[in-house]
Amino acid sequence: MDVRKLVRMANQIAANLDYGPNKEQVVYATADHLRRFWSPSMLQLIVEHYRSGDAELSDLASRAVARLAEEQQNVA
Amino acid sequence: MSAAFKPYRRARDMGTPASESERIVTLTIDGEEVSVPEGTTVLRAAAEAGINIPKLCATDSQQPFGSCRLCLVEIEGAKGMPASCTTEVREGMHVQTQNKRLADVRRNVMELYISDHPLDCLTCPTNGDCELQDMAGAVGLREVRYGYEGANHFDAEKDTSNPYFTFDPTKCIVCSRCVRACDEVQGTFALTIDGRGFASKVAASQDQPFLDSECVSCGACVQACPTATLTENSLIEMGQPEHYVVTTCAYCGVGCSFRAEMKGSEVVKMIPNKDGHANHGHSCVKGRFAFGYATHKERITKPMIRETIHEPWREVSWEEAISFTAAKFKSIQEKYGKGAVGGITSSRCTNEETYLVQKLVRAAFGNNNVDTCARVCHSPTGYGLKATLGESAGTQAFDSVMKADVIMVIGANPPDAHPVFASQMKQRLREGAKLIVVDPRATDLVRSPHIEADYHLALKPGTNVAIINALAHVVLSEGLEDKEFIEQRCDTEAYQDWREFILDPKNAPEAVEAETGVPAENVRGAARLYASAPNGAIYYGLGVSEHAQGSTMVMGIANLAMATGNLGREGVGVNPLRGQNNVQGSCDMGSFPHELPGYRHVSDPAVRALFDQEWGVTVQPEPGFRIPNMFDAAVAGEFKGLYVQGEDVAQSDPDTHHVTAALSSLECMVVQDLFLNETAKFAHVFLPGSSFLEKNGTFTNAERRISPVRKVMEPLAGYEDWEVTQLLSNALGYPMSYSHPREIMDEIARLTPTFTGVSYEKLDKLGSIQWPCNDHAVEGTPTMHIDEFVRGKGLFRVTPYVPTDERTTPMYPLLLTTGRILSQYNVGAQTRRTANVSWHDEDVLEIHPHDAEQRGIQTGDWVGLKSRAGETVLRAVITERVMPGVVYTTFHHPESGANVVTTDNSDWATNCPEYKVTAVQAHKVTKLSEWQQNFETFTEEQLEFLRQARAGAEELG
Ligand code: SF4
Ligand code: SF4
Ligand code: SF4
Ligand code: FES
Repeated sequence: MDVRKLVRMANQIAANLDYGPNKEQVVYATADHLRRFWSPSMLQLIVEHYRSGDAELSDLASRAVARLAEEQQNVA
Repeated sequence: MSAAFKPYRRARDMGTPASESERIVTLTIDGEEVSVPEGTTVLRAAAEAGINIPKLCATDSQQPFGSCRLCLVEIEGAKGMPASCTTEVREGMHVQTQNKRLADVRRNVMELYISDHPLDCLTCPTNGDCELQDMAGAVGLREVRYGYEGANHFDAEKDTSNPYFTFDPTKCIVCSRCVRACDEVQGTFALTIDGRGFASKVAASQDQPFLDSECVSCGACVQACPTATLTENSLIEMGQPEHYVVTTCAYCGVGCSFRAEMKGSEVVKMIPNKDGHANHGHSCVKGRFAFGYATHKERITKPMIRETIHEPWREVSWEEAISFTAAKFKSIQEKYGKGAVGGITSSRCTNEETYLVQKLVRAAFGNNNVDTCARVCHSPTGYGLKATLGESAGTQAFDSVMKADVIMVIGANPPDAHPVFASQMKQRLREGAKLIVVDPRATDLVRSPHIEADYHLALKPGTNVAIINALAHVVLSEGLEDKEFIEQRCDTEAYQDWREFILDPKNAPEAVEAETGVPAENVRGAARLYASAPNGAIYYGLGVSEHAQGSTMVMGIANLAMATGNLGREGVGVNPLRGQNNVQGSCDMGSFPHELPGYRHVSDPAVRALFDQEWGVTVQPEPGFRIPNMFDAAVAGEFKGLYVQGEDVAQSDPDTHHVTAALSSLECMVVQDLFLNETAKFAHVFLPGSSFLEKNGTFTNAERRISPVRKVMEPLAGYEDWEVTQLLSNALGYPMSYSHPREIMDEIARLTPTFTGVSYEKLDKLGSIQWPCNDHAVEGTPTMHIDEFVRGKGLFRVTPYVPTDERTTPMYPLLLTTGRILSQYNVGAQTRRTANVSWHDEDVLEIHPHDAEQRGIQTGDWVGLKSRAGETVLRAVITERVMPGVVYTTFHHPESGANVVTTDNSDWATNCPEYKVTAVQAHKVTKLSEWQQNFETFTEEQLEFLRQARAGAEELG
């Protein structure tokens, strides 16, 4: 799958959930949204992309994906 | 004969509409004591007591008119002979309906009518089903003393311009039932009685042929006509029906109930059912007349297979087609993994079919890769309403609109897309309800006969959220919110957050005026009007959902309704107008990749356990692919097998280049449909589908109303669609053994808390049921969230406005927005195969005179329409319905390629495509676009492959 599309989607999700001073909350909501609506293969792809040091993810989206990456590590 | 088949009889006509009053009045009619609600007419009271007073100009779908003088009665203590259709009952009244005096007068009246009426009853199309004939019989007419030589209208010309009905003025008795049907029931005001006295006659618009007039061919006048003056052409051709079956329209989300009036296994007429809870005896041109596609010669009735899409089809037996498919899917899963296949179901399928497809995917494919075409229309509704109110559905019944004082219509065009509901809404507007329209286009609703919007907020496409926030800003900053409702019914903390967000000055109407293009004072006026109404109701359509912020906008609408206390009773609410007939149902049935039936997330172990046990499999806990994800994965080579039931993604989904690239890369695509649609041209297996006339099941309309679909003829290809899914499941090794869709509904009821009380028996008894239907609401739920929200406390959600990436640039300076028209339905596969093409035979591009002039474009010119996704060519129509900078088209015809131009931009939460905003350039051209030329070649090639299959079968056969 085209990971750039996934990046664009993740950025869009974070931007739409972004409100208020509590950015941790936004990161949490973004990660939760990804978990609830993305297939495992899509999550896998964006996590790998993040690990490879991506620059296109927005700050909030990137922090959300970082959480997913962390979770994966904990499971593994 | 099935129990659903009833002997043909004209539906009983009670003469005048029922009175809603709760006060009961008792009177005697012909010595019989009768009790009826106050306000009932004597004519109707008699009918309720089983006494039929002769009548001609009265009918129970219209207000009484009192012109024919046939319904005269005598009332003790009253002078003369009043017309019973215009006389209301009074307590203690004594009415006589039959005596010598009355009989004489009635006979005289009939004599006059008949003296100007041709006496060709035996060869008349309505012979045996004519009210004039009936009345002649009822009054005992034996002679006509005036003779037929006098002045008459026997030479008047027939008008056969409308493809579905004929107007034969020689038979007209000028009762004006047609005129009143068009005014009161349909609300189009196309007919008038022209002239006076003997010269008076019925005329359409400025005495034009029906087809050229304002008539929208709803057929209400034809149904109301008591003579053969307005008659269905199908009746003229086939003669009277002999039985009928009650069923549900398969077109739009209004879900009208119909009597399919049959002669053997052929439909003579579709007559809207007076007892239909969604339509009360009315319909539009599609449901009433456009059913011919079901027996169209292009229907494919034999299964076909092929190895690649570049070779001819081969007609094969059902067994071979099914085992071919099963073998392909198994080998794909072995080679590429379990997740490499999936299924797409359609809002055009019944609940039972959709349920079965998602079960096939989850149980037999073993993954969650199932989605429905609601993805591309109303998925944001599901998301947004669930997040705020707790249930993914509209809150009201259609009838609720009759109690609304202010109606706000956002991004919807009901007269075109939901015509029967529009007629009802217009009735209410003519009664004085106020109207706010939020739409970039001046839709028909903004100004129509006797209706004018109080506010039309003509916003720039893509700025919905800015507008809804501005409306809320006015409500809060001017203290117009319903404090008590908010306090009692809503989550306080969430409200405070939202309040703080909305009150930010950047959400003020003045602050967003430049962005939205809507003058601030109009936004203020509209907000005040809506917030201060005793009952304010919001209706919205795809102009809300099909945006990058579709889900946000739905939440914004729910916020506004909660803040003003406009939820939880009749006359208010948040009402998504669903496009296709079963959008609501297909969503309810768990056809989204993350949700099991009843909107329950697959990650919930308790829910999965329920299904695991019933189905004997392990349901996967993670979401599967959505439609656009399937396409992306296909292009990447990770997704190889697709089962598509009743959906035409190649035409209806955005970014055609990408979609066709995805479809071409599949190893096995199975299309189950009536016709070789655009998607089927990329398929390896074609499984013939059955039309709504050929199967049993249920549809759920926009008001959550589950209505029965009943088989009136045998499936042309031998199987109902659910049977085909079952065959495929069995061949894949997951056994299914339903013998009737009622068993599928029983399973749905066992597994879904909002459906526990639903069964076919109950549907037969009640006619239709609005879910939730369970122990708490045995007969269903017309109005939701009455004492509390489904989720408990209503949850305000903060809705920041994030402008779409799809912005105009010097290269693409215009915004394209897309929509629908009345006579065509979605991709048009059905309606294009009916005479509805008389009204719309091509998609055109609407462009404002200013933009047209700049580009040297004139009406009728070919215009190239180009976006970053692709280019197509359409014919231009110059109109001020669109504002400068905006162009508009429809997507009912595949060769127009509207979706070649739309992009892969989508709603952030649900990936619902942003059909409503695409940055484009338009310029005059002389030939079709490259895409269109390739499309023509490809279509020709595929049609040749189909011809070869048929020729091959004939040779063998
Ligand atoms: S078909 Fe409908 S719109 Fe046309 S004249 Fe009759 S009632 Fe009016
Ligand atoms: S066309 Fe039919 S309904 Fe209309 S005035 Fe004539 S008889 Fe009555
Ligand atoms: S298309 Fe819609 S409005 Fe028209 S008859 Fe069918 S359900 Fe009713
Ligand atoms: S039916 Fe009453 S006047 Fe015609």
